[in-house]
Parts: sequence; structure tokens; C-alpha cells
Amino acid sequence: MKNALIKLFDTLEPYFTGSGKYKALEPIFDATRTLFLFPSPKTKTSPFIRDHLDLKRYMSFVILALFPVLLFGIYNTGFQSGVAQGQQFGLIQCFLVGAYYVLPIIIVSYGVGFLWEILFAVIRKHKISEGFLVTGLLFPLTLPPTIPLWQVAVGISFGVVIGKEIFGGTGRNLLNPALTARAFVFFSYPISMSGEIWVAANNTIDGFSGATALAITGSGAKDIVQALTDKGFDLPHLFFGLIPGSIGETSAFCCLLGAAFLMITGIANYRIICGGISGLIITSILCFFISEGHDTWAHAGPLYHLCAGGFLLGISFMATDPVSAPGTNPARWIYGVCIGFFTIIIRVVNPAFVEGVMLAILFMNVFAPLLDHMVIQYKTSKRIPNV
Amino acid sequence: MEKLTINKGFKLKIAGRPDAFIKKIPPQKTVAVSALDIPYIRPKLLVQENERVQTGSPIFCDKRDRTIQYVSPATGLIKEIQFGPRRRLLAVIIECEEQDDYLTFDPLSDLNVIETEELISHLKKGGLWQCFRQFPYKDTANSEHRPPMIIVSLDGNDIFSPNPGVLLKNQHDLFEFGLNVLKKFSQNIIVTVRESHSNNLESSQKYVTHLVPDIFPSWDPGVVLYHLKNSFDDNVSWCISVDHLIMMAKFLSTGHYPVEKLVTISKPDELKPHYLIRQGMPIKSFIGTIPKKNLVSTGQFNGRLASIDDYAGFFENTFNVIAVDESEQMFGFVHLGTDKLTMSKTFLSCLTDHDIAVDATLHGEERACINCSYCENICPNDLMPQFIMKALVTDEIEDALQLGLLDCCRCGLCAYACPSKIELSEILTNGIENYYATISKS
Repeated sequence: MKNALIKLFDTLEPYFTGSGKYKALEPIFDATRTLFLFPSPKTKTSPFIRDHLDLKRYMSFVILALFPVLLFGIYNTGFQSGVAQGQQFGLIQCFLVGAYYVLPIIIVSYGVGFLWEILFAVIRKHKISEGFLVTGLLFPLTLPPTIPLWQVAVGISFGVVIGKEIFGGTGRNLLNPALTARAFVFFSYPISMSGEIWVAANNTIDGFSGATALAITGSGAKDIVQALTDKGFDLPHLFFGLIPGSIGETSAFCCLLGAAFLMITGIANYRIICGGISGLIITSILCFFISEGHDTWAHAGPLYHLCAGGFLLGISFMATDPVSAPGTNPARWIYGVCIGFFTIIIRVVNPAFVEGVMLAILFMNVFAPLLDHMVIQYKTSKRIPNV
Repeated sequence: MEKLTINKGFKLKIAGRPDAFIKKIPPQKTVAVSALDIPYIRPKLLVQENERVQTGSPIFCDKRDRTIQYVSPATGLIKEIQFGPRRRLLAVIIECEEQDDYLTFDPLSDLNVIETEELISHLKKGGLWQCFRQFPYKDTANSEHRPPMIIVSLDGNDIFSPNPGVLLKNQHDLFEFGLNVLKKFSQNIIVTVRESHSNNLESSQKYVTHLVPDIFPSWDPGVVLYHLKNSFDDNVSWCISVDHLIMMAKFLSTGHYPVEKLVTISKPDELKPHYLIRQGMPIKSFIGTIPKKNLVSTGQFNGRLASIDDYAGFFENTFNVIAVDESEQMFGFVHLGTDKLTMSKTFLSCLTDHDIAVDATLHGEERACINCSYCENICPNDLMPQFIMKALVTDEIEDALQLGLLDCCRCGLCAYACPSKIELSEILTNGIENYYATISKS
């Protein structure tokens, strides 16, 4: 099997390298070959021994951590579709219906995104970076299952080109490309991204609302927790995720599984995740006590804020993107806490944007270099100078 | 004895530890004075081909300071002078005679009566002054300068460098004498040893001032200096390795150039004694034959790439034979990896505790820096190699210096750890050397 593969790639190689016919497509050839056959060239300079961890494995661990979220997202899309049509789908039917809605979105996201990646790799003559594997999967998970596919294509194009490639590609981007793509879709096509669009179904029964938990408010005597419970958004549902919402965000449990995996393996920095969660909890407790009415999200308390919306998806997988996050440890704590803080502030103070985490992360992405700068200034001032 | 707390570094167990007995290598037909391992040198040849040299007579000196000489470790005819590209001197090869004919100097037995200036000129003539290295560039020490401290590390540059217990055996008097020589230059003499090597030092143990943990490279003088220094002035300390100190003591007490050298070889699956060789012996004579694909280095993390046809250099006492397995693994990036060397937690090997075999391949391809901080987490001197690298590649040398570039001990761990396979160590080393070249011109 392996020898056959090596032989196959070796026979194809002349076409894609040197003066071959398809020289322009060399990055695709190279990416495919290294996907199947992991390269390990000889070290030319000291240190002569190197760690086995490389970027391919680094990124595939994020994909691995996203699997529970993705699988549950597919299942839940099918399940919600059943609920909207007044039916109870079985496990397999949920997956099939879910896959029918979700897979095209993922395929379009990967397909269009990779086209841009390849185009830039060909023009810039470098190898295709693995970073897009994560971006291309994260972006669909932040979208509602009803999104038109052409908007997915436009969104990922914006995310890859404006969010990443114009800065110079992976490693040089200021903002998280997946969130840049989502923000673009969110502001450009508000009709597809807000309101009662969170459940995909052909014909819905009367009185069914596809709104997310964050869009709900109480009224008068009815406080927010009561209003949420009435609509089916009680805490167990919010935690395990059988609720309408964007594909990947609904299950707090699956997001926490992924986050735990990433923190244990050291791929995501625990400081960002822990900082984010503590920032959110502290801010929501403060809001709980200073809010006047009992009927808004300000009075929802930390558990509801943690489990509702996309906060856990964002803090586990998008805020921890090492490129757009700060590179020093104290800055990572500040960054995390600020994301938690701004998420609550946007949710509570600005009802126009019910989902605050996307804007909070993008906002802190912009400040990450400044935080780094301050930490580095402090650290160098503590060093005994050597010049 | 004080214990230094150093938390960061390479903590994994790797295979290849040398055994603690000595094997003597018989005399060889040729030896050489190698110029490959001498940092910063601009050699000026003092001999010609077919000229006869004595043991201890100068072969070449450093153009920057002609009093610093590199001397012959054997008696015989100069057989060949090897040059590399752009007429860079590689080695001067000497055909050995059977009997050593030493260039003799007056032995110095009483340090109290000798002037420091005389001692310096004595060491320079004997070809041993260059044993003193001066921070932060680790160039040959400036003999007019008196350092705030001299660091003597009993362990070498590699994890598997000669064990000081083996090295100092029966030479404890020389070690004491050597330390007294150092007191002529500085009152603050630091002697460090790895924790695991501290128990068989016998009578030399009382001279150890600092114990360092068994984490590579905490015994490197650069790391020790970083963790000990209190002020800006400490930056220009000196260091000397223990085998050079013994050589110096032997030279001063006998008046003859000491030609013996103790080296270790780390290689997979074989008996690995310490080897007692003559300075400048061909590497082949003690390494033996190795598989063609394997690579020879003089330090797994911070040595040079040596060829099997090279000669042992003045500054080298560890040789690693590292296997090279360039074969492509199917879906290599998803292997469970129970035997893969990694400081991350992404392979199952992080749960086991056995010695892991090493190989000299990159395990991946070069990519852009993703700011993951793995290099920062392993740097023993609290540097942020990723930010220094970015400053250097954008030519912001001032920023790089601000970030502590000159505290870099060049251990190579940053490049070891980098998942993007960026040559951080090479970039930082070049940064230091270019800066040094610039300031020493002006």
C-alpha cells in the first residue's frame, strides 16, 4: 500500500515539478503527497534532533477536538428539523437529515477556501499551510443551517482573502479568519443571519419559532429564567445542546469536551480558555446584581450566559487560535478575561447584537499585539540589560 | 553548595548515555589541528607543508590577536594543509613520529611568586589561553580584562558529555591547582555540576559551589551566568570547561603541552565507553565505522555537523552518531507515537518514561511562525525566541537586543521545539555573530 503510493507519487512528480506540464499546480501536488506520505527531511544545522510535533499534527488535533462539536451539530440540525415539522426523528434519521443540510455548507467552505489558498500558494510560490484546515471547518460551525450556499462561498472568500492572505498568509493575520468570514456574512446578509432562521426544515408547524435562546427576553413580572424555561431553554437543554442555534454552538458539553482535549494536549493555551470563562462568570455576576429589571439577559446569571449562545465554541476554538491571540502568557490572561467581559457587555447592553462573542473576540484580536507589546516592555524592563 | 533553580529546558530521557569506563585509543598515524570548531577565528598560518613541528609548537594564530596560538598536539611533519571554499583553513594535518619531542616551558609550581602578566604570556605561548571564553559572545577572553566571575562547568555542551567523575579521577590535585590559577584572574570562581553527576566527584566535591538540575542545558555556563548575574557588569564574565582547566594545570605544572583528551560518543545500541584520545585524532579512529546515512555531530543540540573524516577539535569532547531515517511515513501526522520524542503532549510517548531513540530529521516541513510559544516555554534563559526572531528578520537589531538576544546561550532548544520547524537557533546565533562583527569593526 505504502510502496504503491510512493510509486504513484513518484510517477506523477515529473508533471508537477521542474519544467512539468502542470508546474503551476505544484502546491496541490505537494499538499496531497505530504498528506499521505509524511515528510521528514534530514536536519542540516544544529540542533540535529527535533521534536516530533509539527504543524500538520498541531492542526489535526484541533480538527480532532472539533469532531464532537461537528457530529453533535449534524445530529442536532436533523433533530431540530424534526421538531420543527412536528415529528420525532430517530438517531440515524437525525444524522441523515442533519448531514443533508450541514455537509454542503462544509464542502462549499472547504472547496472555495482551498481554491483561494491554492491560488495564493501558486502565486507566492510557497507550500499550502495547514491553518486553513481549521478555518474551513470552524466557519461552517458558526453558521445557521439555513444559510444559502453562495453566502458561505462569499463569506469564506472574504475570510481567507481579506482576513488572512492580504496580510501575508497563515501566521501573519491580525484577525481570526473564520470569525472574519462570519462577521462579514453577519453584517452583509443580516436576513440570513438573524431572526428565526436557526432551524432548517422544509415546512414548519404553526407556532414554531426558530429563534435562539439569546433572542428571548422576559416581560414584566416574568423574569428571564422563567421565560427561557417556558420556551424550552432550560439549563440541561442549553448545556447538552438540543436547541436551535448555529451548527456548532448549541452544545456547551461538546465544546467543553473539545476545550478539555485541547488544553490537556497543550494545543490551545489554557490561559485563554480559563481567563475567558472566568471573565464571563465575573461579569455576568456583576450584571446580575446591578441590573434593574429581572426580564433581560442582564439578570440571567453566569450559568445561563455560559451555556447559551456561541461563547464556549468561540473561546475554545477561535480565541485560542495562536496566530491572532497574544504571544505572551500574561497577555493571554488579559485577552481571555476581556473576551469574557465584552461578550457579556455586548449581550446585555446592546440588544441589537444578541451574540456578543464574535465581536468580542474580533475586538480583542485587534488589541492582542498591543497587549503583547505592553507585556514585552514590562518583561524587558525587568531583565538585567546586556548591551 | 548552593542549588540553582532552573525550571525550563529539555527534560526528556533520550537514549545514548555513555558508560563510565575508559578505553584508550592507540596512537594514530596522523593527527590534525582543526580550525572548524574555533569560533570567530581568522587563522594565520605559521607553518608550511613538510615542515617538522614539535609537540606544543604553534601551527596557526588568530589574526585578530597574534599572541593567541593554536599548537601542535604531536611531533612530526606537516603532511597537508587543508583549505575549504574561499581558502578557509580547515585543518593542518601532521604525520606523527613515534616519540614525542616536546617544546618545553618552565614549570610553574608556586603561584604566589608569579605575576599575572607572566602567567598570561605563559598560557598564550603554550596554546591554552583560548580555553578562557568571554561572555556574552564566548570569544577568546581579553587578557587585559579582569572578569567579575569565572564559571567552571564540570559538564560539557551535550547531555552525554564526559562524566566529571570519570574525567577528574586521579586528577583532583590538578583540578585544585587549576582553580588556584583562576583565582589569579577573579575572586569569584563558580564551579557547577549536574545533580546526577555530583556524587562521584570524591575530593573535588568540596570545590563545587552550585548544583544545577539535571535539565539540559542548565549546566551550560551561559545559563548559569544568566541565573547568577546581579548587575550589568557581570555580563562580561569568563567561562572555562573542566577539561581545559585540567589541561592548563598540567601544562603549568609540567611545562609540556598536554596531549590527552577524554571524549564520549553517543550512538545507538552499542557499548559506549569514555575514550581517552590524543588531541586532534581523526574522528574515524575512535568512532569506528558507522552506517553511511548516519550523521556525526559534536553536540546533539548545539554542536557542529562533523564529517567522519574530520579531526577532533580543541573545543570538542562529545561526538554523537545520530541515525537519519528520511523515509516517509504513511499518514505520519496521526500516529499514536509511543516512541516519538516530543516535549508536547500530542504523542502517547509523553505518558511513558523510557529512553527514547533520537534521529536527525525534521519531522515535518518549515512553515510560518504561529506564535505558539513552545520556544519560549523551553528557553532556559527566559527569552522569547519567536519575538527575537521576528525582530532579527526585519533587521530591528535594537529590538532584538532589548529582548535579550545576547543572553542567548545558543543551546538550540528553541529550534528543537518549534512545530513550524523554523531554524530559530541559527537565526539567533547569526544575529549575535553579525552584531559582534559590526561592533568589533567600529
